Amino acid sequence: MAARVLQQCVRSLARPSLRLCPVNLALRPAVAPTVTVHRLLSFAADSRRTRWLEQSRISSVGVFCRQYGDLPPLTIETIKDRVMYVLKLYDKINPEKLQTTSHFMKDLGLDSLDQVEIIMAMEDEFGFEIPDAEAEKLMTPEEIVQYIADKKDVYE
Amino acid sequence: MSPIKKQQNLKAQRMLSTRSTVLSLYMRVFRIARAWQAQTGIAADTESERKYILQEARTLFRQNQQLTDQESIKRCIEECEARIEIGLHYKNPYPRATHLPPMGLATQKGRKLRVQQRLRKQAKPVYLQSHDET
Repeated sequence: MAARVLQQCVRSLARPSLRLCPVNLALRPAVAPTVTVHRLLSFAADSRRTRWLEQSRISSVGVFCRQYGDLPPLTIETIKDRVMYVLKLYDKINPEKLQTTSHFMKDLGLDSLDQVEIIMAMEDEFGFEIPDAEAEKLMTPEEIVQYIADKKDVYE
Repeated sequence: MSPIKKQQNLKAQRMLSTRSTVLSLYMRVFRIARAWQAQTGIAADTESERKYILQEARTLFRQNQQLTDQESIKRCIEECEARIEIGLHYKNPYPRATHLPPMGLATQKGRKLRVQQRLRKQAKPVYLQSHDET
């Protein structure tokens, strides 16, 4: 069954290159439901679905890699944006004064309990646990971004 | 000179170790609050209990932030650990109240108010130290 799905993908990729970009984008969500549906999958139904999905303009990161239901790849920029967004939402931080190099204790006037809360918020945002010993040392947004990039093996 | 310096060094070390204990306890409470499920199974209860845990942790830790006395810091740490253990065991984040009737600790001799107050304060369990009975 997987081989049949791959054949269909190859056949649809071999279609005229005018539709190369949207076909790739549309195939990714198309591949996932076709894998779950077991029998009764005709080539015509698949092409109809891909055409309908093309027209509905599915947007994604725009890379040509297959993701199969995984999250979009992290970059330093996206990590930095998410970290700054979470920090701006924290009510004890003044959003105007916040920069990537602002120290939590010296510049922003927070204390160690607030720093613990910020690290917990980062854990919630990125979905992985930060151990206690290393969490104590992260004192600026820049350090947090570096740490997450180290942990997630993002290119520097 | 050197014994005083040694004492100061020891005190500084003790302060650092208590600081890291306190911060790790704070993080532990937050992690518990993140994964909390209410006993009843109702989603509204889970939400309200989670909020209660976070709010309770924040207020109590802030309130006792300024303590410098080793004894009281130790008592607060013990209270925190006891409440964590009890809360996890009974799946109930609220403080576990004890029942002590008005003349519960009275003897024939010590029936006056001040004696009773002193005894009751002594008999209060460690996990109820921050809980004021009204």
